[in-house]
Amino acid sequence: MKLFGKSNLLFLLPPFILTIALVGYGVIMAISESIHKNEQLTFQYYVDVFANDIFIASLNYSLSIAFVSTFFSIFIGLLITRWLYRCWKNDFLKIVYWIPMLFPHFVWGYMMVLLFSQTGWFSSLVYNIGIIHKPNEFPVIINDSHGIGIIITYVLKETPFVILMLLPAYHQLNHQLSSVVRTLGGKEWDVFKTVEWPWIMPILFETSIIVFSFILSAYEVPYLLGTTYPKMISLLVYEWFFEGDWSNRPKAFAAMLSVTMFIFSIMMAYTSLLIKKRYHMMKGNGKV
Amino acid sequence: MNGWKILLKEPRIWQAIQSSWLIGITVVLLNLLIAIPAGRTIAFHSFRGKWFFELLFTLPILIPSLAVVMGLHLTMIRLGLTDHWMGVVIVHLLPSVPYTIKIFHSSFERIGPHLEDQAVSLGSSKWYSFYSIYLPLLVPSIRSTVFLVFVISLSQYVLTAIIGGGNVVTIATLYFPFLSTVKESVISSFSLIFAILPLTVLLLFEFLIQIFIPYRKQNG
Repeated sequence: MKLFGKSNLLFLLPPFILTIALVGYGVIMAISESIHKNEQLTFQYYVDVFANDIFIASLNYSLSIAFVSTFFSIFIGLLITRWLYRCWKNDFLKIVYWIPMLFPHFVWGYMMVLLFSQTGWFSSLVYNIGIIHKPNEFPVIINDSHGIGIIITYVLKETPFVILMLLPAYHQLNHQLSSVVRTLGGKEWDVFKTVEWPWIMPILFETSIIVFSFILSAYEVPYLLGTTYPKMISLLVYEWFFEGDWSNRPKAFAAMLSVTMFIFSIMMAYTSLLIKKRYHMMKGNGKV
Repeated sequence: MNGWKILLKEPRIWQAIQSSWLIGITVVLLNLLIAIPAGRTIAFHSFRGKWFFELLFTLPILIPSLAVVMGLHLTMIRLGLTDHWMGVVIVHLLPSVPYTIKIFHSSFERIGPHLEDQAVSLGSSKWYSFYSIYLPLLVPSIRSTVFLVFVISLSQYVLTAIIGGGNVVTIATLYFPFLSTVKESVISSFSLIFAILPLTVLLLFEFLIQIFIPYRKQNG
């Protein structure tokens, strides 16, 4: 490797400035808005927000939806990736899993409404076949209080993303190691545990944090598929931020920053874990 | 076909398609400009604090963009960037640049630095070796970047609505309030526009590749 030259540092400057100037500055401004009241320092808004039942309900609702959707996306994505790299070597499938990405999230959300609402296609289909006798016997999936419609939409939309992140890792995997495990009498699960898991674990965690934070703070899909109470957090925040009453604005900042801090702490915990893990791997192999 | 007729009569739809296109292409170009050199540096050089940069560059997709944009809102009003398409372009960089850097990081890593060293040792200039060796090899990554980033830019409703302030009309800001009011056939045709637009951009891009990237004609 060449030494780190000045010109190369220059290349990192644009994304560095972009991140600092937009994300850093934006978050600092948001923090400053959330802790100032009439030019005085206060944590009143945070206290207000966490004493607010609507906020707590919406936080629980958002967190559980984000956890469940992330879990299923990762799990299904992992299963499909393992199957894909073994059975399909051609490029055709690459196009197939790109298709869900062609449409924005909210278009998928709208399709969910078309298909699964009580007046939707599936409802009238089972009604015409005669499985149900009235359209409103169709299970409530859209605008339901458990967020099932939201979860299905996100799992459908995020699974291809998980595959997209995992597939390169599987292609770079040393497949002789899997053969070694099999020759020594290992089962499929042993192959996964000893060969694949250590290799894909960092990517899997990174992907799940990205998916989780995306779902937690997304606006469009819950707007279409969510209930009026409890609302997903970003809907609530957007409402507080943009409705006529300006006194709610600092509360919107405090709420959104709490979510940010939550994501940030998960990320920090993960990073410190990963650094330890990398250190162990270096010690074990004698190389990076 | 009735849905298309109603849709195409809507006067703002053309304006929306136009500005979505303009904003999307600008975002794509800025992404390439920022991410190709940065991805190359991260892939080919090891330096102190590299993990810090990698972490920093993923921050924009981890930190909720709603929080960031709400914080930026007042400043952008002062700078006159709200209600202007340039402001929308800037906030669309937030959810897209991290992905692009990842794409180019891994593709440079796959290609490896040795080709460049060879070319340079044979007397080629750095820029020419980049143009003649790496650019053709990067075409698949550039293609997926163009596609992915353009779709990300198309999908942004909240960011466009907050910074665009209703004056910058993209198809997302037009589509979204539409949903609860208009007939199904109109919405369905509208949904298809979201797929057609990226395809037009990909076509344009393939055309540009034929012109600008060397060694394509022999291979293609």
